[in-house]
Amino acid sequence: MDLSRYAALFLTESREHLNAASQQLLEWERDPKATEPVVSIFRAMHTFKGMAAAMGYANLTELAHRTENLLDVLRSAPSGASPQMHDLIFRILDALESGASEAMAGGDAGLDFTGLLGELDSAAAVAQPTGSWAIPEQPREVAVPATEGRTVRVVIRHGAVMRGARALLALRRAEALGPVGLVKPAPSAFEQEEFDGRFSFRLGSTATDESIHAAITSAGEVESVEVGVEAQVAAPGERGEVAERRRQIRVDLQRLDALMNQVGELVVAKGRLAELVVGSSPELQAVSTRIGRVVAEMQSEIIQARMTPVWQVFDRFPRAVRDLSRQLGKRVSFEVEGEEIELDRAVLDEIGEPLIHLLRNAVDHGIEPPAERERKNKPAEGRILLGASRERTSVCIRVVDDGMGIDREKVLQKAIREGLVEPGTEALSDDVLLRVLARPGFTTAAVVTDVSGRGMGMDAVVSRVRGLGGSIQVESSAEGGTTFTLRLPMTLAIVRALLTRVGSERYALPLASIAETVEFNPMMVASVQGREGLVIRDRVVPTVHLRERLGVSGPAHQGRRPSVVVEVGGRRAAVVVDALVGQQEIVVESFDGPRGMLPVFSGATILGDGMPVLILDPAALV
Amino acid sequence: MSHSVLVCDDAIFMRTMISDILSQAGFEVVGEAETGREAVEKYRQLKPDLVTMDIVMPDMGGIEAVREICKSDPDAKILMCSAMGQQALVVEAIQAGAKDFVVKPFQPSRVLEAVQRVIG
Repeated sequence: MDLSRYAALFLTESREHLNAASQQLLEWERDPKATEPVVSIFRAMHTFKGMAAAMGYANLTELAHRTENLLDVLRSAPSGASPQMHDLIFRILDALESGASEAMAGGDAGLDFTGLLGELDSAAAVAQPTGSWAIPEQPREVAVPATEGRTVRVVIRHGAVMRGARALLALRRAEALGPVGLVKPAPSAFEQEEFDGRFSFRLGSTATDESIHAAITSAGEVESVEVGVEAQVAAPGERGEVAERRRQIRVDLQRLDALMNQVGELVVAKGRLAELVVGSSPELQAVSTRIGRVVAEMQSEIIQARMTPVWQVFDRFPRAVRDLSRQLGKRVSFEVEGEEIELDRAVLDEIGEPLIHLLRNAVDHGIEPPAERERKNKPAEGRILLGASRERTSVCIRVVDDGMGIDREKVLQKAIREGLVEPGTEALSDDVLLRVLARPGFTTAAVVTDVSGRGMGMDAVVSRVRGLGGSIQVESSAEGGTTFTLRLPMTLAIVRALLTRVGSERYALPLASIAETVEFNPMMVASVQGREGLVIRDRVVPTVHLRERLGVSGPAHQGRRPSVVVEVGGRRAAVVVDALVGQQEIVVESFDGPRGMLPVFSGATILGDGMPVLILDPAALV
Repeated sequence: MSHSVLVCDDAIFMRTMISDILSQAGFEVVGEAETGREAVEKYRQLKPDLVTMDIVMPDMGGIEAVREICKSDPDAKILMCSAMGQQALVVEAIQAGAKDFVVKPFQPSRVLEAVQRVIG
């Protein structure tokens, strides 16, 4: 294309836009709260950028682009612009105007905007965000995937621009042929610049493979289309026949909840029945056993029906992280792993907010502004990972950032001032750090920056997770970033627990976090760093005397007694109790404990005999 | 008969460039619009075979204009013109009903390929 034809047009029109932007900038200085001027300048900058890019003027394009980014942040908070910022934008407008003339004379390559770009970075770092973090309402329905139809796998050509948008176009073409479901990755991934162009979906259509192929290819930039049948192999002799079709219906989540509650009651009653029939007639015992088996099957079916892939909640996070990082002028690449991992819908519903809080913390307090990162020899773009994985009977969700880490020194000082740790404490362990962060009102925001915390605080996050029978850990090192690890039960309604007794009270410990039970023998006690530990097969495991921890009065047991070794995230503790009562399935009721309650309980349950029992939080014991 | 086109962009520079590319390929540019609102109005009057739509425009952006146009004519053939790094917006535009997109700076061959796919 002969660009010289457009050169004159470029020059006159860019001048017009830059002049208009100057006018608007004056307007903005007069009335810093007005939004219209910012929007106009933003648009002028965007238009200028497009024209400069078309002319091939890379340096002008870059300066306009970075200015546009700053304006994008300021656009949602125009009063966040300081007089220095107004001044900076004035100088940029001047630089662009003279730059445009120089570029026309063939001098774009010689333009040097390093100084202005540096100032833009610093300005972006202080631009204050506004806006709320409302989580969009999710339809409260369990979407039952269509297993009918054929699986279609599509690859968008590697060099194609905006492969995500292209993928969406291909999907549109497929939708013209029939209903489309089970899109993997979730369509929100299409908005990500990193999307690799590979996706698959199920298509319910009678069209031939060839016409599906042709329709999708017509979206453009398609490298390959694979139309196949899922590995549902038809039985021998039935070839040519359609494999057995599974039928699906959609069920209101409340129905499933109600059913789950009833099954929960049934489980408790079953437990009670099993206790009562001991010693009675063999027929009665046989019936009890049979009921027990059926109830267990019902329970596992209903739990299966409630399992929902985590992407249903994770899907809204990329947009939220993108918006916040933009508002804050930070550059963040956000990755999601394990989005196909399934969790009980009820657990999933509860963790959206805590995760948003952790992600917000990561963007706000973790990831540094690009300029600061570059000074530290880190990539300008920060990295946040949200990963889900299966761990035995629980699901582990990690929020990892490669930002500045939590400033332990500041947290420690504040914790000492507030009497949360002993004066003279020299360093905070990860455990203590979490405990300090989780104090009501003790937010990272109040500690690390002066930006006030919004939404739920760290204390609410911790208690929500514990309320679900889960645990939360933090690892953070200066400059090494911060990792929050949440371990959640796959289902919260019913868990197997070990009942223990201290004094006259019974306490439940979730079986999922119990490694073993061993005898606590005072002869086998060792002292490590001033802490008592129990020697178990050449390893010293710290002991927790539940009687002391809970402040139970009455004569303490001496001599040998049972202990329960709990393990959370690789750390163990031997919990010493008076007696073991037995294993039982319990229906967990989470609760918000009253203030001042010992932070060692995650919930409560009512046993078959009608007595309430508190559930111990293993994470608070190790 | 050549296809009629409505070109929507707030910069004359861009409108000229797109118009040149399309008319050289035998299309007839029947109208131009500088704002989203104007695009919606002109679409109603002119009923063009094809629309090229910038995303960022004053007085109703391109995405909103797509939504408006598709409300009355779901089969409207709209080609989005986007800058690099606007993938999320392009995705939004496609969800609103746009049929394809090209990314600035324009290469005439790319623009024409996309137009062919849209006119199909």
